[in-house]
Amino acid sequence: MRNVARGIAIALALALAACGGASSTGTTTSNSYQGKTIQLGAILSLTGAGGVYGPSSKKGMDLAVEKINGSGGVNGAKIALDTRDDASDKIQSQQVAQTLFQQVQPLALLGPTLSNSAVAVHPLAESFKIPILAVSTTGIHIVPDCNFPKTDPCKYVFRDSLGEESAIPANIKVYSDAKHPKTGVLMVANDDKFSKDGGTIVTQTVGQYGIDLLATIPFPKATADFAPPVTQAVQKHPDVIFITSLGNIPANIMREARKQGFTGQFLGGNGFNTAAVSKAAAADGKGAESGSAWYINNTFTSNAGFVQAYRTKYSSDPDQFAAQGYAAILILADAAKRASLTFSDAAGDRTKLRDAMETVNIDTPLGRFQFTSNHDVKQTIWVIQMDGIGGFTLVKSVTPS
Amino acid sequence: MTQQILNAIFIGSIYALFAVGYTLVFGVLDVLNLAHSAVFMLGAVITYSLVVLHGMPFLPAAIIAVLVCGLLGLLIEFVALRPLRRRNAPPISALISTIGLALIFVAIVEQATQGTFFSWLWQDGANSVRFPAGTVPDPTYHLAGLTIEGTKLGILVTSVVLMLVLGYVMRFTQVGRALRAVAENRRAATLLGINVDRIFASTLFVSSALGGLAGLLFGLAISDISPYIGRDQVELKGLAVIVLGGMGSIPGAVLGGYLLGLIEVFAFVRFGGNVEAGVAFAALFLMLVVRPQGLFGARLRERL
Repeated sequence: MRNVARGIAIALALALAACGGASSTGTTTSNSYQGKTIQLGAILSLTGAGGVYGPSSKKGMDLAVEKINGSGGVNGAKIALDTRDDASDKIQSQQVAQTLFQQVQPLALLGPTLSNSAVAVHPLAESFKIPILAVSTTGIHIVPDCNFPKTDPCKYVFRDSLGEESAIPANIKVYSDAKHPKTGVLMVANDDKFSKDGGTIVTQTVGQYGIDLLATIPFPKATADFAPPVTQAVQKHPDVIFITSLGNIPANIMREARKQGFTGQFLGGNGFNTAAVSKAAAADGKGAESGSAWYINNTFTSNAGFVQAYRTKYSSDPDQFAAQGYAAILILADAAKRASLTFSDAAGDRTKLRDAMETVNIDTPLGRFQFTSNHDVKQTIWVIQMDGIGGFTLVKSVTPS
Repeated sequence: MTQQILNAIFIGSIYALFAVGYTLVFGVLDVLNLAHSAVFMLGAVITYSLVVLHGMPFLPAAIIAVLVCGLLGLLIEFVALRPLRRRNAPPISALISTIGLALIFVAIVEQATQGTFFSWLWQDGANSVRFPAGTVPDPTYHLAGLTIEGTKLGILVTSVVLMLVLGYVMRFTQVGRALRAVAENRRAATLLGINVDRIFASTLFVSSALGGLAGLLFGLAISDISPYIGRDQVELKGLAVIVLGGMGSIPGAVLGGYLLGLIEVFAFVRFGGNVEAGVAFAALFLMLVVRPQGLFGARLRERL
């Protein structure tokens, strides 16, 4: 019995000493994370319809992690990034998030790739009070109202991806100012949030520029033969075909429309902004315009350095999704650096990180980066067009009002 | 509307070609070969791989792919069907074993990684690919306000010619007569000296070759190519087609294919993309209720 009591006393003493040790370390070197690991988790669509975007995000993130860890880490701490594929599926995305919460216990999360999945994952992260930074979700009701239709702001949800609510109207304005189109047809995938939101934004915007929307043609993403929907669109003889959809679909529509003799303009959203889509559309996509968060040929240092490092590592050009993924890691690293993390109180650290994220003000490939009070991004919009050979050229830059 | 009817005829040709293979096996062997959709996918995938990875011209690549698909039909017969038949297993067992083979075929393509035969499939993360422009000459004709693509016209001609040839073989040749005899009564055919196993194997070969051909034409002129084109685009539709036309009936499958194409396109034009798929299956349901033997089925027999 005495032995047991002595054991308990020793254990208590050791525990107290450990606590004391921790607090003294914390006070003496509050910003030194030497030997620690900043664990992050990413939920990306590496396969499925979002598979044209997720791999780019991953490459951008991996490059940033490598760069930061290679130059001493975050106050000495290494970043560990656990990236998992959600196969572009909402339910799977939620399951992956839950697995990450339980198995990896990340300081913060990144993703998911698609807005459709974000509406399932973000409320979950909010309820667990884990900061989550969206890197490619551009739909409406992502920030701050992640629990839409509830309107109370989500405190742990951020995004560094330019919303379609900003990008699509900017794109339509730039094109209308230059070419004054009179009529349009909207082709919209009707079975995912991103595409539907894009369609809603187009519908709400065109009237302001005197464009008469002759028809809205919804189609399911699994459509294989785009001839019937495109025939419907082309036979309206519109000046512009608006396409809000994912994956290779915009390219397939462009190809079919050109075959059917359409000579007008294609305008679209974020679904255009990847080299894979531009490459798939090739000559049929030449001139197709969209508002982008990023432009490859911007020469400011934070972008030029990123583009060069990306080309060196992957022997290919980055796209917008890679730039946003890269920027996301820089944002989290900067916030973590200033957050005085303890590495012993996970919940407290997450709140500290969240608070530090709100005051991020750094240079990224996207330009100078800050969050709005709604945790959204406020940045220059680059209206770009497909060059017909798998890349893009800049049409105009639009500074946010 | 005329353009939409053309669209329907082109996609209908693919459905018909696919369904002819489906119904041939059903008619002769009394089993639904659910690996048929995976063979359809492989027809497109193999052709694409040969053209893009090995720079092979389209025609020899297509011939090789069709032959390989025919051989896969033999694999289906020897691995999934014959052993079960020897054990007198019920047709449902054969159905399940073909589903298993289909999953394996899809997984092989799906698991492709860098450096493997199918590595192209995941380039750019796009998960789906198209034949490069210029793989085959594709002139586009504009006639009286109609757009007619050369490749789609090619599909129509190929499908119709092949189906006519098949119809001729079935009706007027010794092989065709043997096939029909086996379909009618396996035991009587055996007693008449017909090598039933050989008939089964050749049925699977022809059926799968047709399935592969449908797949490669589909990938050439209609759709992106991915591991899922069979499962997503033709598996259930093919079933709808053979139910519409009458299970086991070749002319029924042809007519059913074009009918489904038309129903889909009319549904799209009339009700929009939201209900297109639903309408096809509503037609199937209606047919099952009103005329369960299908358009050409003489009588409904216990098949499954």
